[in-house]
Amino acid sequence: MSTFLGWSIKRPSNLTKLILFACVSIGLIVLDARHRHDTQTFRNLMEYATHPVQLLAALPFSVANDIRRDFRTNSELRQANSQLEQRDLELEAKLSRFDVLQAEVARLNKLLGGQPIPGYRETLAQILAVSSGPFTQRLVLDEGSQQHLYVGQAVLGTHGIVGQIVSVGPHTSQVMLVTDPNSGVPIVSERNGLRAIAFGTGLANRLRIPYLTVTADIRIGDIFVSSGLGGVYPAGYPVARVTEVKGNPNLAFLKVRAAPLGQLNYHTHVLLLWPKQVAHREGLHG
Amino acid sequence: MDSPFTPTQRALVGLTFAISILLAILPLPGYTKLLRPDWVALVLVYWCMAIPDRVGIGSAWVLGLFLDILYGSLLGEQALAKVLLAFLALHFTMRLRMFPRWQQAIAAGVLIAISDLVVLLVKSLAHGTPPTWSDTAPMIANVIVWPFLFIILREVRRRAKIS
Repeated sequence: MSTFLGWSIKRPSNLTKLILFACVSIGLIVLDARHRHDTQTFRNLMEYATHPVQLLAALPFSVANDIRRDFRTNSELRQANSQLEQRDLELEAKLSRFDVLQAEVARLNKLLGGQPIPGYRETLAQILAVSSGPFTQRLVLDEGSQQHLYVGQAVLGTHGIVGQIVSVGPHTSQVMLVTDPNSGVPIVSERNGLRAIAFGTGLANRLRIPYLTVTADIRIGDIFVSSGLGGVYPAGYPVARVTEVKGNPNLAFLKVRAAPLGQLNYHTHVLLLWPKQVAHREGLHG
Repeated sequence: MDSPFTPTQRALVGLTFAISILLAILPLPGYTKLLRPDWVALVLVYWCMAIPDRVGIGSAWVLGLFLDILYGSLLGEQALAKVLLAFLALHFTMRLRMFPRWQQAIAAGVLIAISDLVVLLVKSLAHGTPPTWSDTAPMIANVIVWPFLFIILREVRRRAKIS
């Protein structure tokens, strides 16, 4: 029991504290769910405090990688070097052909009067942390607004689309994977041009493609690539392969399951893309 | 309340929480993360039980907010759960201390499971995805880990003379 300005003050009971803090928490939850932008500043501030913890949690893995790199033997390095040289030659040969093809496509596009193939500036970012569960499928990257990342930016892996950026802190950013239950990717079938949307399920190896009518031409093994509709993901990157098609004549839509092709569990680095207009606006040239 | 809570002791308790947070966000491969106990909750229950005058609902709320930032969940989601957990642990402090070890483990596990239900409720309300059976795996892991964690933290507490 103490006094403050003449009032006697009792230490608040646990129940009082519980009610108080629970109300504040529920307020925060509602605020965060409805007006994400207002809480972003607070998140950014807090990230300064949590960034070292995330780095520390990623440390054992980066140290293990470093050790593995340092302890490679000479012969291993020679072997790897010769392999890489050979691969370099192969890629060089392919690339020279690619340049020719790209020029040809640009020329054909100009002839047809269509848009030129959109140019992208890209950079690599390291994955700091992975959070996955039935409700969120997220990655944390080691780059943030300091590196001109922005919300809604497409994130790619070597095998296809990984996801998009949903929140950006000063030095870190969060990626919503295509398997996140809140994610939807506009896709188009490689085989016949069927348009659809791939939604996440919360499971790391499954997507669902709803709203396809029973008569839609879709088979197990069909590859779907991004269609570029919606403007978030660039067109033509692999997204999913159909693994299961169940049709019930009594229902309007097919039940279609697919496996993501982005190899979401296999990367340590991902590719970030800036459409040229954005890169230009941000003063980045690459 | 007689002996003072020195800055060193406070830092030590803070350190145990920091380590628990590190363990909680350490990336684990595949299905092994299903068996990851809720380290932060376990440590919180221990300190609420051992030094209820020092660690309580306020600390739990701050801790929860940190977790929300790290997990990328809705702000306040973990905070709400941890506040409820701290309240329950404080309420059952005396009973928890009296229980034999295995019974204590089950009791702590049940308290954490109750607070997990809050998280599941908030998540299914906010995202519209129902909870799954795999959510129960960490609850079982909690009970298994408790006796070992208890011994470690009791040793820390006795060496540092925290009371």
